[in-house]
Amino acid sequence: MRLTVVGTPGDRRVALFAAACRRAGLAEPALVPWRDVLLGRPFTVDGTLRVESPGEDAEVNALLRGPGDPARVGGGARWYRTFRAGLERLRPYPSVSDIDDIAVMFDKRAAHARLLAAGVPVPPALGPVAGYARLRARMAERGWHRVFVKPAHGSSASGVIALRTAQGGAVRAQTSAAREGDGWYNALRVRTLDTEPEIASLVDALAPDGLHVERWFAKAGLAQEGVRDGVGRVFDLRVVVVAGEPTHAVVRTAAVPMTNLHLGGRRGDLAAVRAAIPWAEAMDVCARAASCFPGSTMVGVDLLVGVGMRRFAVAEVNAFGDLLPGLAGLPGTSAEGGDTYDAQVAAVLRAPAGA
Amino acid sequence: MIHQFHTSFAGLPVFDLTDTTAAGELPAADAVAWRIRLDDYVDEFDPWRELFGTFTERVDTTRVRALLLGNWGNTYDVESTEPLALLTGAAERFPALHAVFVAEYLQEETEISWINHGDLTPLFTAFPKLTEVVVRGGIGLRFDPLKSTVLRDLRFESGGLPARVVQALGASELPALETLQLWLGVDEYGGDSTVEDLAPLLSGERLPALRDLGLQNSPQADQIAAAVAAAPVVARLERLSLAMGSLSDEGAEALLSGQPLTHLAGLDLHHHYLSDAMMERIKAALPGVQVNVDDQRDLEDDWRYVEVSE
Ligand SMILES: Nc1ncnc2c1ncn2[C@@H]1O[C@H](COP(=O)(O)OP(=O)(O)OP(=O)(O)O)[C@@H](O)[C@H]1O
Repeated sequence: MRLTVVGTPGDRRVALFAAACRRAGLAEPALVPWRDVLLGRPFTVDGTLRVESPGEDAEVNALLRGPGDPARVGGGARWYRTFRAGLERLRPYPSVSDIDDIAVMFDKRAAHARLLAAGVPVPPALGPVAGYARLRARMAERGWHRVFVKPAHGSSASGVIALRTAQGGAVRAQTSAAREGDGWYNALRVRTLDTEPEIASLVDALAPDGLHVERWFAKAGLAQEGVRDGVGRVFDLRVVVVAGEPTHAVVRTAAVPMTNLHLGGRRGDLAAVRAAIPWAEAMDVCARAASCFPGSTMVGVDLLVGVGMRRFAVAEVNAFGDLLPGLAGLPGTSAEGGDTYDAQVAAVLRAPAGA
Repeated sequence: MIHQFHTSFAGLPVFDLTDTTAAGELPAADAVAWRIRLDDYVDEFDPWRELFGTFTERVDTTRVRALLLGNWGNTYDVESTEPLALLTGAAERFPALHAVFVAEYLQEETEISWINHGDLTPLFTAFPKLTEVVVRGGIGLRFDPLKSTVLRDLRFESGGLPARVVQALGASELPALETLQLWLGVDEYGGDSTVEDLAPLLSGERLPALRDLGLQNSPQADQIAAAVAAAPVVARLERLSLAMGSLSDEGAEALLSGQPLTHLAGLDLHHHYLSDAMMERIKAALPGVQVNVDDQRDLEDDWRYVEVSE
């Protein structure tokens, strides 16, 4: 069978998927650059399509978000508009990546609504907020004191704010967004903002691009090697679900509320987590989350585990959540021994799309 | 940051009694330390009151030895005095209780600097047999000087411990106290004690049994180190901790040039601003001592942080 990947030339993801194809004895997939798709240039699709992340390419990023410093926070609305227009151009072709699923996954509000409607556990959401004042008013109405504010079309925790308020006007936020001059930029560290004007200015800067606000789900912690009992690091799980089966999982731990690796998060001990939580139930939650996106061969589910290790909530479903190079599949699954790309190639061979 | 519940307390494994587990099978009353907490956010105190009611109905409280009071609702509206009043009000039903952990909240649940306390005196008067007490959070905390011949282990974890708490401890009579750990914290979050407030503790006059002293999480770690270097209490210690704070070469120099520390079993300095050379010097000077100099902070940073504040 023939596969064509829409991706960015030179991107790791493209190379990793091509390597998995070779291992399975398939021909090297053809590549359609996102650049051509976004610029409206002609392209040809040979066989079945796989839609890959546009990656971190500066030119593609500028096409999607518009010109400007690639490290700036924001621009999600324009990014999403352009991205969707690009996706539309892929609609005519048989694909292992469903165009509408991807579009929903890149809108945190729509994805949350879809999961909620399907009965998948998610943190409750606040509904639309147009700015900081409205956010606080809505929080007060609902009696919420701790929330996660997320740009509707963000990724990699860009612009995500862990916000808490107390009576007497105290408010505190943690975020990787840092102010420089009159703009906000992605820093590689999570910092605390504790003056209201600063926090309000960040929320107001992000709001025009759309916000998704969720109640803060108190995440469980894991013991940290060499550190006394009772300190630990918070964790969550990234679970890759391929053709309905949870096949790969990593634990992400952090000392701050965001566990993203580029913000100081670390890989945690999967065996310890498996022993501490009802694992089968956790995997079932992930499978149910994935089943909300039936046209997608693969999704990456961010699973939150509550402080008591018994409750779960899905923070996000990632359309391109498989970039976990070298990670072996979970024992006892059909992907045992292979990486996330091997698992997807195997799934495509089992049930080619459009066949 | 505090992200993990204790797995054991007062020598017992912890059983997590929540709105969910309370309906299931329960361990023997004296086999575990009971953590009573809600498994979700709630604003008001009623659900915890109900859970505590279920606990006292389902468990033979006369054999309960250790309790941890966890998530009882919104910590800035509901002071710890509320769950404590329930407990002290039922004191005669807990004749075996000897260990209490007040406010085992995690950072993901609430801010340590937003846990509101009040007068803790009734806990000690209602349960004179307490041997171990831990309190997390410092805002509003106060109590009268303590008097106990059995209290062995006291720990105050906070981002800011009020001076009046340190002073009350200094005026307390605790002849059996072996372990005292204070997370002193920062002024901004109510930690307004000074090194002078520590003087009665450092003299050790009223703490004849003290073996383990922690003056931790302080931005004044250097001054504390200088005071400790000449403190009479040090001679009887087995363990000393100046960890979690802002200790720099200046404080370490004072420690090393003060009274001998070679009798210690452990010296905990983790989370510090010591130079590599000083870390080596301390280890070399204290060959038989287990020295913990993990978690060296960024020496270039203009600002010196403590490990736990907000
Ligand atoms: N409601 C919530 N309560 C607590 N923690 C949350 C919540 N939502 C997200 N998080 C945490 O915030 C971080 C970023 O979340 P999320 O996955 O939603 O954002 P993202 O920007 O798309 O990042 P990613 O690169 O992980 O996909 C994660 O570490 C996650 O555990």
